[in-house]
Amino acid sequence: MMLNNYFAEVGYLSINHDKEQLCGDHIQVIRPDSKTTVLVLADGLGSGVKASILSTLTSKMIATMIANNISMIECVKAIAETLPVCNERNIAYSTFSIIKITENKFVEIYNYDNPMPFYLHNGKVVNLNMTCETIDNKRIYHTKIVASCDDTFVLLSDGVVHAGIGQILNFGWDLPQIHAYVEAVYDSKTSAKSLATTLIDYVNKLYDGKPGDDSTCAIIKIRQRKQVNLMMGPPSTKEDDEKMLSLFFGKEGKHIVCGGTTSHIVAEYLKKPLLYDLDYLDRNIPPTAKIEGVDLVTEGVITMNKVLENVKNYYGDNSSYFDWCYLPDGASQITRLLLEEATDINFFVGCAINAAHQQEGLALAFSTKMQIIDEMTKTLRLLDKNIKISYF
Amino acid sequence: MKDIQICVGSSCHLKGSYDIIECTKKAISEYHLEDKVILRATFCLGKCGVAGVSIKVDDEIITGVTVSNFQEVFKKYVLDRI
Repeated sequence: MMLNNYFAEVGYLSINHDKEQLCGDHIQVIRPDSKTTVLVLADGLGSGVKASILSTLTSKMIATMIANNISMIECVKAIAETLPVCNERNIAYSTFSIIKITENKFVEIYNYDNPMPFYLHNGKVVNLNMTCETIDNKRIYHTKIVASCDDTFVLLSDGVVHAGIGQILNFGWDLPQIHAYVEAVYDSKTSAKSLATTLIDYVNKLYDGKPGDDSTCAIIKIRQRKQVNLMMGPPSTKEDDEKMLSLFFGKEGKHIVCGGTTSHIVAEYLKKPLLYDLDYLDRNIPPTAKIEGVDLVTEGVITMNKVLENVKNYYGDNSSYFDWCYLPDGASQITRLLLEEATDINFFVGCAINAAHQQEGLALAFSTKMQIIDEMTKTLRLLDKNIKISYF
Repeated sequence: MKDIQICVGSSCHLKGSYDIIECTKKAISEYHLEDKVILRATFCLGKCGVAGVSIKVDDEIITGVTVSNFQEVFKKYVLDRI
């Protein structure tokens, strides 16, 4: 696998206007080819159903046009000319920001009436030098830059800058304050989604849990690809131990070993002692162990089940992030490696059936393990992780 | 020196390894055995088919340890042999 290249990691999160079930902001992401990423953030006028339909329509139209190789400026023109204008308010029915990154390097941004996008370079906010163009009476800002590794682009809907207006803050959360906040919480190890989560969580706090507007933060981070390898379960036949282990340890990147029997086999293979930690750092997650040469050794099914919960939650509102981002238990550690560190994950799944686990009433059946792996890899793929699974 | 290993593998974990570790820690300090006992965790001891947690005292595996029979097991395999 080619690892010496970059990846544009995308992560976003929205919170809805208080008491609304639908979000009036919509994000559309497309990757027309492996090195191109396009993200459109549209904010429909008002909130609820109408706003949701307007923003979905706008973002999907833009994304579809770009996916069909229509130039950015043509798309923007087409949308600007066709976007209906509200009779009462005399403003367009939807605002939008578009970011297109080609070769994980060349960045082009268009912004129409959303808060001005910005980016972090070496952890410091840099304002984009935008030029303004008027198309059909709409002032559209545009810029092109060449990004370097770890540059992090931030797109917002206006719900973010209005956070706390008339409540905690007199005039809302203005861009300079947002810049300072993002700089303060930024860590090059944090994933795009987690950074968006941190920001949106704060927006929700400023709104005192009752957002006065749909609020969205979308982040694209240019990062180095990183591989992580995870082994779970011994092979179905003993003769395959050697093959599975030599392939596993031949892989570049960090190595995670899950499961008691599996750890025994690994310790034997590496000729190193298996050292157990006695302390339950979380009473629901069995303690971890150590083997020299392995980055992390944990129990199997129970730990991985918790990891699966975290991965699914991450795909959703990511509320568990504030726990697993710092907790020392095995499941939190695996979650951090898979979600924050890895872009590419190799699963080595051994299909041996642990006879002792197949009793009734014990939630450890073989099918449970397979189900966990299946759901986990599916969800990780939805998160743009490059997944390979090998069964032994 | 007594070596006590408590299984924290998947199966024993579900049957209460956490509680047994806590009980053992408590018993060790109650009887002031800090210098006479090494307490460690271990992955599967291969006796998952039995109710309760598996523990290993020196070379002997004791299965079916629960909070209710813990005192008895601790006395028989640890206290009486020190």
